[in-house]
Amino acid sequence: MTACFHCGEPVPNGVELRARVGGIDHAVCCRGCEAAMLWIDGLGLADYYRLRTEPAARADSTVDYSAWDRPQLARMHVRVDAPDRAAVVLLIDGLRCTACAWLIEHAIGTLPGVHDVGVNAAARRVHLGFDPSRASLSTLLAALAKLGFVPHPLTADAIDSLREQESRAAIKRLAVAGLGAMQAMMYAVALYAGVFDGIDPAVRDFFRWLGFLVATPVVLYSARPFFAGAQRELRARRVSMDTPVAFAIALIYLASLIETLRGGLDIYFDSVSMFVFFLLVGRTLEMRARHRAGDIVDALARLQPTLAERRTANGYETVGVHELQAGDIVRIAAGASIPADGSLHDRQCAIDESLLSGESAARRCQPGDAVIAGSMVLEGPVEITVKRVGADTVLAGIVRMVTRAASEKPTLARLADARASRFVVRVFLLTVLTAAAWLVFDPSRAFAAALAVLVVSCPCAFALAVPAALTRAVSVLAQRGVLVVDGNALEALAKADHVVFDKTGTLTEPSIDLAHSEVGRGTLDQALAIAAALEQGNTHPLAAALRGSAATLTLSNAHALHNHAGAGVSGVIDGVRYRIGTRAFADCAGPADSTADDALVLADDQGVIARFRVEEQPRAGVTELLAALHEAGIGTEILSGDSPARVEAMAQGLGIRQWRAAMQPADKLERLRELRGQGHVIAMIGDGVNDAPVLAAADVGIAIGSGAALAHAASGILLSSQRLDAIIEARVVARRTLVTLRQNLNWALGYNLAAVPLAAFGFVPPWLAALGMSASSIVVILNSLRIGPVRRATRASAVVDAGIVQARYA
Amino acid sequence: MNIILLLIPLSLALLALAVWAFFWAVNHAQFDDLDTPALSPLSDDEIAPTAASKDAE
Repeated sequence: MTACFHCGEPVPNGVELRARVGGIDHAVCCRGCEAAMLWIDGLGLADYYRLRTEPAARADSTVDYSAWDRPQLARMHVRVDAPDRAAVVLLIDGLRCTACAWLIEHAIGTLPGVHDVGVNAAARRVHLGFDPSRASLSTLLAALAKLGFVPHPLTADAIDSLREQESRAAIKRLAVAGLGAMQAMMYAVALYAGVFDGIDPAVRDFFRWLGFLVATPVVLYSARPFFAGAQRELRARRVSMDTPVAFAIALIYLASLIETLRGGLDIYFDSVSMFVFFLLVGRTLEMRARHRAGDIVDALARLQPTLAERRTANGYETVGVHELQAGDIVRIAAGASIPADGSLHDRQCAIDESLLSGESAARRCQPGDAVIAGSMVLEGPVEITVKRVGADTVLAGIVRMVTRAASEKPTLARLADARASRFVVRVFLLTVLTAAAWLVFDPSRAFAAALAVLVVSCPCAFALAVPAALTRAVSVLAQRGVLVVDGNALEALAKADHVVFDKTGTLTEPSIDLAHSEVGRGTLDQALAIAAALEQGNTHPLAAALRGSAATLTLSNAHALHNHAGAGVSGVIDGVRYRIGTRAFADCAGPADSTADDALVLADDQGVIARFRVEEQPRAGVTELLAALHEAGIGTEILSGDSPARVEAMAQGLGIRQWRAAMQPADKLERLRELRGQGHVIAMIGDGVNDAPVLAAADVGIAIGSGAALAHAASGILLSSQRLDAIIEARVVARRTLVTLRQNLNWALGYNLAAVPLAAFGFVPPWLAALGMSASSIVVILNSLRIGPVRRATRASAVVDAGIVQARYA
Repeated sequence: MNIILLLIPLSLALLALAVWAFFWAVNHAQFDDLDTPALSPLSDDEIAPTAASKDAE
């Protein structure tokens, strides 16, 4: 049996198709792949086959994209800038390697009417600019499908990506601050040399004006986010970290300007530029972590399909989901998502509701049963009667609940903010006092002394104390597979005294029950080795479980691996094509057997080889985490949607005393309010869409990396390594960060207490003031660098960063 | 010392040029995706554009 040259799938018996690429005939499996190869070769892009590192997806040219030309649908997704210019952003499934990006750029770029093609393989996006009079959206989508990619048009607001604008603006600000700081320092060196060796006042003033020239864009352009933030907070009658920073920058800058004008003692243009630069570096790092998490959240775009097949008097028509109305009957194919809430119309089928319930086993639905938008039909096609659409669906309701819960979250009184703002107020009072006192005794020295107080007491160290410690902690944790999306989350994690767990998918993961698995042909070890070889590189929890069970076996090499969403994996080992996954997928011909519905079935073309029984077992690292939490005197609790008997068994097995079962998202939120009423600071650990509202409402939400996108969006911390004991380290780092934060703040306070009185009495020469100011900031940064990786006490193996790849089946 | 009157404006001009060039690069999507382009030289290594792809451009 040979494999298809294009997609790597085995060529079925009796298919005698050949396609000529680069002058050599190759066997292909279907007309779709043949057409893709001939087209690629015809464009002179045959190099793609040499460069690619992954086989292409099976080219399916049978999908009809003409519905995308409906004006109702195109309006939402295509932005028309001019009669001959339109733009659209597509999320691409199957964009696997850079060769794919290269292929798309070149192949789509040759189509008539296409102006420009931009491919971002990291975000799996394609930006297309085209002439709507010469090329229609459906032809472009069909062309991508012909190459073997599945395009999902994003809504038009994705074209002006806010994230892209934000990151461009940040990088520009950083560059201006960095270059400005370098120049300002060079001029400052000349001035410092002048203080010791003597300098002509004219030359000195010249250098000061130069400093002013380079510091002005830094303050007025680069530091604008700090001023905007402070202004926003002031209007809301609050103070945040931006307030002292903005004050410090404005004061030092204006004071230096005044000193330059009146030929005073010293200027600080270099310090203010450096200060802005350091702060911006911290901000930019934080922003990048947030964006990386945001790319994942965009997977939400694919939770709900954009098209639906509506039944009409004479057949079916494809319409946009937003055109559906209650009462419509829609048809859904196997492996597709349900577009709207409704009830099953014609026949029974298995439906994967893991998205909403978090339960991994598929539910068997009878005609008349309610089904929920976003869940996946495993056997099809089926018809449903639409009941609720758009904003009325359960999924939309949960999304709303997340947004509301996040906005109602009480913020912990932030330590640093409170102290820094108190400090700023006191410095102001002191400055006014100094000026007043000197006005009485010696008016000519009043301004210089007041300025000295301001500059020496510069809240730089204060302003740097928090970002320096947080930035360091975030980068240390990122290396350990813990992504901190929200800086407040660390402080909350350090203070948390009650941890709430979801059960399925969080505390537990599926494992293979070898004792109860049935083998039809060969031995259990042989079957396991085949199954594990097929599941290499798959991030689904069941795949990991299979690999774990086969850890001691030698695996053969599988190729042409294909992940069929919602069903399983197919691949070729030693010329034999195998399938593993749900019964319906792997063993199409086998008899329906409802008892084995949640088993994993391994089959080849001759039938079933083995059925692996799946059971729940605690996730790796759970016992370590619970032991550490109990030792620290932290309360633990399970809130699960599962049945009481199973939750109780799991709770007892793990030694968790408090548990509640059969809870809906709203019940979980209610319980959270109750706990908070008792004065607890709560950390919630979960993975499903049903956990998302609670994750958003908890003081700190921690989402498992393989969990649902909505859960990620609602959380402050993501575990990209699948091990729960990473939380132990995260907690240790968070606590140490808090300690470092306090040290930083105390140091800044101590330095100021010592220096300010001296400055007020006029004892501090300018060079010493500048030196002290820089030294106090450097001490803060060095102290923050002491937040290092935590030594592992329990486990030697490295954390495997499994990445946050969404893969769902069964 | 008069030389600084020439050198410093020169350095400022270079600074302005550097900032302008950087802004141009950012605005032309040079910093939007820092991962994909890093790999593309590896794959472009042996590609000699064939006649057809030249026609395409």
